[in-house]
Amino acid sequence: MSAAISIPVAGSRWPALIPPLLIAFPIGLKLAGVPIANPWIIFALLFGLMLTGMPISISLGLTVLTYLFTMTTVPIESVALKLFTGIEKFEIMAIPFFILAGNFLTHGGVARRMINFASSLVGHWAGGLGLAGVMACALFAAVSGSSPATVVAIGSIILPAMVKQGFPPRFGAGVITTSGALGILIPPSIVMVMYAVATSTSVGALFIAGIIPGLVLAMFLGCTTWWLARKNNYPRQPKATWLERWRTFRESIWGLALVIVVIGGIYTGIFTPTEAAAMSAVYAFLVAVFVYKDMSIKKVPKVLLDSANMSAMLLYIITNAVMFSYLMTSEQIPQELAAWMLDKGLGVVAFLLFVNIVLLLAGNVMEPSSIVLIMAPILFPVAMKLGIDPVHFGIMMVVNMEVGMCHPPVGLNLYVASGITKMGITELTIAVWPWLLTMLVFLVVVTYWPALSIWLPQTLGMMR
Amino acid sequence: MPPAMLCTGTPRDGKSDGSHWLAIGAVTLHPGIAVRPGKKRRGGIMKVLDHLEEWLIAFLMGAATLLIFVAVVHRYAAGLPIPVVQDALLRIDLTWAQELCIYMFVWMAKFGAAYGVRTGIHVGIDVMINRLPADTRKLYVLFGLAAGAAFTGIVGTLGATFVWDIAHTDSVSPDLELPKWLVYLCIPAGSYLMCFRFLQVAWAFARTGELPHHDVARVEGIEDVNVYGMDDNLDPAAVKGGRA
Repeated sequence: MSAAISIPVAGSRWPALIPPLLIAFPIGLKLAGVPIANPWIIFALLFGLMLTGMPISISLGLTVLTYLFTMTTVPIESVALKLFTGIEKFEIMAIPFFILAGNFLTHGGVARRMINFASSLVGHWAGGLGLAGVMACALFAAVSGSSPATVVAIGSIILPAMVKQGFPPRFGAGVITTSGALGILIPPSIVMVMYAVATSTSVGALFIAGIIPGLVLAMFLGCTTWWLARKNNYPRQPKATWLERWRTFRESIWGLALVIVVIGGIYTGIFTPTEAAAMSAVYAFLVAVFVYKDMSIKKVPKVLLDSANMSAMLLYIITNAVMFSYLMTSEQIPQELAAWMLDKGLGVVAFLLFVNIVLLLAGNVMEPSSIVLIMAPILFPVAMKLGIDPVHFGIMMVVNMEVGMCHPPVGLNLYVASGITKMGITELTIAVWPWLLTMLVFLVVVTYWPALSIWLPQTLGMMR
Repeated sequence: MPPAMLCTGTPRDGKSDGSHWLAIGAVTLHPGIAVRPGKKRRGGIMKVLDHLEEWLIAFLMGAATLLIFVAVVHRYAAGLPIPVVQDALLRIDLTWAQELCIYMFVWMAKFGAAYGVRTGIHVGIDVMINRLPADTRKLYVLFGLAAGAAFTGIVGTLGATFVWDIAHTDSVSPDLELPKWLVYLCIPAGSYLMCFRFLQVAWAFARTGELPHHDVARVEGIEDVNVYGMDDNLDPAAVKGGRA
């Protein structure tokens, strides 16, 4: 895989000077008496530490500690208390449960069932397996919380089949790389829980708000696939009989019912979001072990351990991000940013454009959870001041994260897809552009048409 | 290939081995320790520690899930008008379940973060350092690991002071009435363990230049799906026939 990557592994030495400069220079100047605004020092520190490649959680924590130690007289103990109490919220505990539920069902067998169902429904249209791939990604995304895992699970099964049928490899790679990103928009979504935690927005409202944009994006991607396939006359599947459709539906419904447990449970008020997550984990366990029999009971401890590993990593970022956002608040950075934006007369349109560009840039180098945890506490108060709906803002951020996972130079989905397709990043970049463009168009739609996101939760009475 | 087994020296599959973590670019996974094949196995006490860590976090994960499941089922079952059962269920009080779940997950998070160092799951931005010449890059990786050790060491010490202070009060948690110091004991214990893991990884990296790597996109059941065993229209034989 490494051979396929075009990034030079050894280059010039001068960039090595950037982190020490970013870390030491502003602090040094400030201590020497040069007036520099505090936000600049904080961000220079954060970027400097992050660029050294240390874990994001550690760089967040160290930024706070270093800043407090050198710049203020605040006793570190008082802030460190945040480290201990930062994650003691029952809402946050939905994250480990959703990860566990997803891990039980992120399995090749489940992916295959979704592909079968999708191809029996849409395989006979132009686009054939490609179209089925988009739909299968959307279905699989509903049970698995991870975008890269969706790309691998659906891609490893459907891409060889597509190539054998005569699709150009680039076409298949483009479809799956981008459709795999649907996972974080279609509920249950861990990134949405992160946003909810960071901004105290309702998880239930966000999940329900994600449904329509998720379906619309799947349709957008499907249309691009359909149009390209029709233009190039790519092969189709034979039309499936209704009997076959019913059979494949029955096979995949056990997995898909997970979404019903979560959304139905939260919407009807049977469960709180965290309880719904726990119930979905138990449900996923039962389906994986006793219904699908994809997993033997002996594998369960390993799934538990893997899920604990992943959750602990995310919870550790949350802990440190809580401390960081506490620093942001105590330094009044969001308020200052808001005041500056209003002062310059920048309205909602300009602000949302600015947010999207910043997030797309951040999406180049960080994974969604970290971006949401770092950026949401800074941008959210500004958005509130401008009268943007919290749920709409959340959905916009999530869609932006999706685009970030697929766009060059360094989207995670691209790298994963490059692993399974044996294509270089440059070639994949050419392969994904029609779908990437579609996603960007969709991002603009979501950004400037709030009703798309908030109509459903509002109609269902999940929010004001 | 179970990452859980890395510590015991199970050979990794060829696909994701080697320089993969270098290659992933933007979001690679940071170092954790893994005894690679061909390396000397770690001694008994280390192994016990490794296993203890793994079992603790896996147990907490499973137990918390079951706990919330039982609490929810209990809440609804107690509402059903079944003569004797309802009385029995109503006598059981599970209001503490939520609090216990939080504490279990906080413990899992602290020890799991330490385990994560060993499996290389903590994510960092290595776009820049991966483009540096090897020796400079090595310096940065070691700096990152040292920073991790320093941070967790500081937090551990702050945590220990904090726990020591509240141990001398009689504050208890609201529902379970557990002593608070016991609840927060995970902070010094977990942070010091994490600090130790960072040092371990740094030591292994300094000697061998190898870092543990966590495969973000590993999906079970991809290789072993029997394509001919499923009567769908996706098996290569049917596809090659060009039924379309």
